[in-house]
Amino acid sequence: MAERPEDLNLPNAVITRIIKEALPDGVNISKEARSAISRAASVFVLYATSCANNFAMKGKRKTLNASDVLSAMEEMEFQRFITPLKEALEAYRREQKGKKEASEQKKKDKDKKTDSEEQDRSRDEDNDEDEERIEEEQNEEDEVDN
Amino acid sequence: MAAAAPAGSGTPREEEGPGGEAGAAQPQAPTSGPGARLSRLPLARVKALVKADPDVTLAGQEAIFVLARAAELFVETIARDAYCCAQQGKRKTLQRRDLDNAIEAVDEFAFLEGTLD
Repeated sequence: MAERPEDLNLPNAVITRIIKEALPDGVNISKEARSAISRAASVFVLYATSCANNFAMKGKRKTLNASDVLSAMEEMEFQRFITPLKEALEAYRREQKGKKEASEQKKKDKDKKTDSEEQDRSRDEDNDEDEERIEEEQNEEDEVDN
Repeated sequence: MAAAAPAGSGTPREEEGPGGEAGAAQPQAPTSGPGARLSRLPLARVKALVKADPDVTLAGQEAIFVLARAAELFVETIARDAYCCAQQGKRKTLQRRDLDNAIEAVDEFAFLEGTLD
């Protein structure tokens, strides 16, 4: 993929919707302005990633985690984002936990006959995978599950 | 693993390439229960941006989510700041120059200078 990072734009439809909901009714946005905002958002993500990565490296970790990103926000002087981001993260964690328990329940029902020790082991592995693995593999799992 | 669409994004399949906007144009169905739409930006696109950084080894799912949400907050913020400029011009349409003015005026947006051309 010979694409520059800045060319990885976020979907226009979503960007437009976010903008419209942020602005009062009846306010429009020109195509150029919207496209510039979209590009700005990409640049923002790249910059935040780079900042967050510095924090991860300082912590001698190879995996970016949520708190690295929050630290990056502070560094970039977007402190006002930190509280809403923390709240969103809590909600996201609850949602992920709910999904996990749901799929584990499914697994349990299927593996009723299997040794319970085996189940516990695989659950632990899943926990590790969540934190360390690149999501690519997780996405594949998602597809498989779907 | 996560059986439903992750983080409530409209795209059920996350394997679209960078140019794959067709998928993203799908209507964000107000599906299931509470917290179904924690983030509107598709995590796959955000992940692609993160992976574009050669210094990044791995990124956890939570980090990607927080970045996506932060990007949304950023879009809201910059849109509103740019609108303040348009208001001063008594216009009801945000123009590119409003954005440029906001970038110049607001310190936090300094990192954007020179990147949007």
